[in-house]
Amino acid sequence: MDRIARNASLCYGCKICQLVCSFHHTGSFWPERSSIQVFRNPQTGMVRWNLDKTCDQCGCEEQPLCVKYCSYEALRKVADENPKESENE
Amino acid sequence: MSKEGRIGGALAGKILRVDLATGRTWTESSEPYAARTLGGRGTNSLILINEIEPGTKWSDAGNLLCFGAGSLVGTAAPGACRTDISTINVFSGGKGSANVGGSWGAELKYAGFDHIIIRGKAEKPVYLFITDGRAEIRDASWLWGKTTYETENLLRQELDDERIEIAAIGPAGENRVRGSAVLIDTAKAAGGSGVGCVMGDKKLKAIVVRGHGKIEVFDPLGFMEAVAKTHRQCKANRAKVQSMRQSGAARFEDLDFEGWETCMVIRNGQDDHWEREKRARLMNPEAGVPSMRRKIRACFSCPTGCMPFMEKAQGKYREMKGEGFWINALWSVARFDISDPETAVAFWLLANELGLDTDYVAAGLAWVFECYERGFIDQKDTDGLKLDWGNGEALIRLMRKLAYREGIGNLLADGMVEAAKKIGQGSEYYLAHVKGQPSIEPFRIPKGWGLGVATSPVAGRHLRGAIRGPVHSGPGGSDYDITHYSNQAKAVVWQSKTKELEDNLGICNYVGTWSGAHFLTLANYAELIRTAMGLPVTEEDLMDRYAVIGRNLEKAFNTLHTDLSREDDLPPQRFRQEEIKTGPYEGFKADEEQYNAMLDEFYELWEWDKKTGMQTREGLEKIGLKDVADRLLAKKKY
Repeated sequence: MDRIARNASLCYGCKICQLVCSFHHTGSFWPERSSIQVFRNPQTGMVRWNLDKTCDQCGCEEQPLCVKYCSYEALRKVADENPKESENE
Repeated sequence: MSKEGRIGGALAGKILRVDLATGRTWTESSEPYAARTLGGRGTNSLILINEIEPGTKWSDAGNLLCFGAGSLVGTAAPGACRTDISTINVFSGGKGSANVGGSWGAELKYAGFDHIIIRGKAEKPVYLFITDGRAEIRDASWLWGKTTYETENLLRQELDDERIEIAAIGPAGENRVRGSAVLIDTAKAAGGSGVGCVMGDKKLKAIVVRGHGKIEVFDPLGFMEAVAKTHRQCKANRAKVQSMRQSGAARFEDLDFEGWETCMVIRNGQDDHWEREKRARLMNPEAGVPSMRRKIRACFSCPTGCMPFMEKAQGKYREMKGEGFWINALWSVARFDISDPETAVAFWLLANELGLDTDYVAAGLAWVFECYERGFIDQKDTDGLKLDWGNGEALIRLMRKLAYREGIGNLLADGMVEAAKKIGQGSEYYLAHVKGQPSIEPFRIPKGWGLGVATSPVAGRHLRGAIRGPVHSGPGGSDYDITHYSNQAKAVVWQSKTKELEDNLGICNYVGTWSGAHFLTLANYAELIRTAMGLPVTEEDLMDRYAVIGRNLEKAFNTLHTDLSREDDLPPQRFRQEEIKTGPYEGFKADEEQYNAMLDEFYELWEWDKKTGMQTREGLEKIGLKDVADRLLAKKKY
């Protein structure tokens, strides 16, 4: 089973992954219905990123929308046996 | 396509109205406003001109404080994160507006609102809590007096929801310091026009938003195709993307970067050239400002990513960290001849904590330093502070006095033009201000920049048409020398118009048509609007109608509420009188005759009266603003 992995050192915290994921699920922009949740703390610079079990890696698309629209190339589709990358900082 | 004028998507759909005096809240549809203006700032401007009686002062209960997320905010349109805050400008008495990024505007839309319009004043400090179509006015006495950082932490503890977004004022706004900002997430400042001062005057400490809802667009698949196209454009410009992602100020790590020579203002305008060793000390990669830049962050849905996160160890000042070190910060300290990097970072982060607008602090307090140098004031007036050029510790202490109205800070908090009247001795000549608002901008070398700042309807600032050549800002592909007067007005008007559209849509111009990014084009804007909002617009509709409506609404507000005239569209006196003393542009000044020639062309391009700069009935009626023309006529204002 593949999964989406985030390289935290590349992520700028723009939340586009959360947004386009909700579009995949609902056809609208609805962050609450996204498989991805992004949290920012402007006082520490921290970005926390969660992916839940509703992620289907956008099976109907050429590539997952979160990977496609990440301008920072922080997201990749990886095989699950890969070592887990740093997903939070 | 939807029927012309009917909006088929992208809006949350409602405007929240709040009367702080009575505690009443109610809603109305945002669509009729957005159909006329495209939304965002345009709608805020329309509400202000329709509802505020001429003669109303910024501190009157009848003044409105308007928050408006852009029409495309909350969608995946690139860089669509911006919120406009409009009110009466505390400096000019005319239109006030400040624009800010972050995630607050998107969260407001998910909570069901495009705008919040606030009238009246609360008796005691309050904050607004807005979620899913509802608004509550809550006690904020426990937050009053707190910095923006403390306010954010306390509200997060109290509300126990990581997803809330907060717009707050700091002590400066509470104390009605004129140059106060509204801070989003403690870091992104809506700085100009004194919007934080108005918020403090209304005793409104913060607006907390949390939305669980959605934003739908007119043609979802078409819209995503349009978005994908913009992302491809962004990626294709990799060199520029990499440059933007080091923050704009990073360009100045190259001591030969042309910006060092063309847009610095030193010692409050005594010169526009800064010695190389001072540049080197401030921007040294190992020990200067860049050494405190830990990472870069992006606003909501932004493919550019330009916000540096700074961390400063304890040294002269306490340990500090937070987002933001912009070119403005670099310009600000140069104005005091301060090349100490620790002071530069502390200056910026302290302004965010106190809720001060950095341009006001830099332009205002540099003028105070010059008053000290010239003997208009002395140590008795400054509570012992030695305001010598380069004295960073004195600047940091003076900022605190300003925010808390201590000693001389009380005099300066009521505005620098007012302070100059009290200090007298001809001191106002040395105060760089545009329409009353202190200004950090260069006027003597980059002429299109100077014209854009001087003609801004919101009293200066460089986001309303200031250009610096096709590489850094201004229309791409054009060819002109930024130091010349010719060929500037047309480019300034083009840039002013695209900014109108960007503020209506809520798209950051660091993604759009300014700053040299040029990731988006007018064709992209038209396509995004057609697919998201269902409005069948062309590029010509945008530039010849909607952009013109936006600018004319603000211009008319100024005409109805102030006596601003052609003279007020010229650079500050000092830059017209005094030449640059050293450096490659020695001898340059803002030549009054040449600036006036640029103004003639500028007014003609806007179809305003060339002689007076006033609007005309024909021009207003052409863009459907007959009602505005009638109001101007009633006031004998053209």
